[in-house]
Amino acid sequence: MKTAIQRGWYFLAASPPVVLVAVFIGFPIAVTVTYTLGHLGGANSAISSIALHQVSSHGHLATFGAYSAVLTSHSFLEDLVATVWVTAASVGLVLLLAWLVALYGRLADTRVARLLTSFAVVPLFIPVVIGSYAILQFWSYGGLVKTLAHAVGLPGFPALGYTLGGVVLAEVWVSLPFAVLMIGSGLRSIPDSAFDAARDAGASVARAAWTVLLPMNLVPTIIATSFTGISILGSFTVPYLVGPTSPNLLGPDAAQTFQSFNEPQQAEVIAMVIFALAIVVAVPYLWATYRSNNDAPSAA
Amino acid sequence: MSSVTAGAPAPGRTSQETMAAPARSTPRAGRRRPLTVRRVGVGIGIALLAAFIFGPLLWLMLWAFAGVWHYPSLLPQSWSLSWWRQIFHYPQLVRSVGLSFTFAPIVTLVSAVVCLPAAYALARFPVPGRRTLLVVLFASNAFPKIGLYITIAGLFYALHLMGTFFGVVLIQLLGTVVFMTWIPAASFASIPRVLEDAARDVGAGRLRVFFTVTLPLAAPGIFVAMVLAFLASFDEAQGTFLVGVPNYVTMPVQMYSLVSDYPPQAAAVFAVLLSVPSVALMLLVRKHVLGGALARGFELR
Repeated sequence: MKTAIQRGWYFLAASPPVVLVAVFIGFPIAVTVTYTLGHLGGANSAISSIALHQVSSHGHLATFGAYSAVLTSHSFLEDLVATVWVTAASVGLVLLLAWLVALYGRLADTRVARLLTSFAVVPLFIPVVIGSYAILQFWSYGGLVKTLAHAVGLPGFPALGYTLGGVVLAEVWVSLPFAVLMIGSGLRSIPDSAFDAARDAGASVARAAWTVLLPMNLVPTIIATSFTGISILGSFTVPYLVGPTSPNLLGPDAAQTFQSFNEPQQAEVIAMVIFALAIVVAVPYLWATYRSNNDAPSAA
Repeated sequence: MSSVTAGAPAPGRTSQETMAAPARSTPRAGRRRPLTVRRVGVGIGIALLAAFIFGPLLWLMLWAFAGVWHYPSLLPQSWSLSWWRQIFHYPQLVRSVGLSFTFAPIVTLVSAVVCLPAAYALARFPVPGRRTLLVVLFASNAFPKIGLYITIAGLFYALHLMGTFFGVVLIQLLGTVVFMTWIPAASFASIPRVLEDAARDVGAGRLRVFFTVTLPLAAPGIFVAMVLAFLASFDEAQGTFLVGVPNYVTMPVQMYSLVSDYPPQAAAVFAVLLSVPSVALMLLVRKHVLGGALARGFELR
């Protein structure tokens, strides 16, 4: 039995990063919420003194004026739709590719398979600005893909630079390493016997993977899904560099609303919408980690 | 009482994991059954993925050495090193290189000092509210950065941090906290306690056990986290732009203006330069990252 003083020390030792996050992330989020609800004084006075088109609650508890102004705007709704489908498409592609790479690495334990995993992890170490710019150049008009298409007699092949399709490709490129590492690490901890038993009973590789490995590797898959989804929802650099002017994702939309239109309140409303979407994506993750913690065997 | 036991990492689970991780599967499928169609399919798949990953990077490398290059030529019409020389004649570009290499190590060290003791505590002690602390760290990751930076700008104005060196360090630090805590915590938790107990039994003191047993075993995870922190700082553009400009323009911030205001050769040269430390660090930690040091950190045990 630990004494209260000991537990206090433990808490103190664990607290520095949490304090840092509470002061410089938690507190700003709380302030943001009040600002979007029309509170322009206090911690918001510095930013509201330079802002345009603000909605004030005039001393009342809250006003949803800023929310209704943003949520009914046509360009916002277009960006919202773009954000949702780009995120869904990117996450789907990332999961598919990551599973293929991880599965191949797990089942065919050859040098080629290990090399493939190493390949898939490379983007983790390339700065996102560089990756995005490289992808833009590669898929744009004048890039290699368009050049090759021209060489084989397909001059009508679409250039994906400055399109949402290009954003999907770039998001997949940036997100693939994390998903491969997560899913691959999970697959490696599943013993051979589980998979072999299904194979011996006559299941094909695909069927054995689907019915045995997928359920056993569900938690890492969910972690990969949630983190990929959250990072794409809030992404800025990729859609800013690779995407079209409009409609684009909500990340660059919020940045533009703040920096070009000087409307920080509306920008923060957009940020709150992204946050709400991110929370939805985070729910399976919290559920999965909670469940896996409770399922943990007591002792080996 | 029950929360104490539930909050502590389960030693059975973690030691089981370390045993399972290195177990290599036996060679299978590909070698035993010479299915040529499948092999060709796999070959094409690998080639496509390699092209998808490396194609853009190689294309950018070509641009860095291109003189004249017009569509639809597969290779530049003429080659040139002129941008490699010119780029060093722009003082603001040279300065941004120096600034990036100043901020990244400082942010990495500060992040380690702030987070590593906490990682150890979360892994080894029954910290009250451990789960909540981990979830709070996670939630901080879910709020979009741009929304955060707008409000932080207000906070930084009030604290006179805008445009300061410390302000830039602080904003870059925020992006490193989560994995600098999670990944080392998972590494500490995966060390079987019996190893530490054995060292204690033969008379080693607490500190000595930590520095000769625990720390070396957790080193790969700590190393991976520090490299990721370095890269996160090196890569950070949005927050640095908001807080640092015009006093502190780092390489990635500079990259935004290069992309729009200069010919592709200049941006390509700069991009290649900016990638060098990342690739070097990747080669250093590749083995540990592929070995699962990163993945373990995200399972919130």
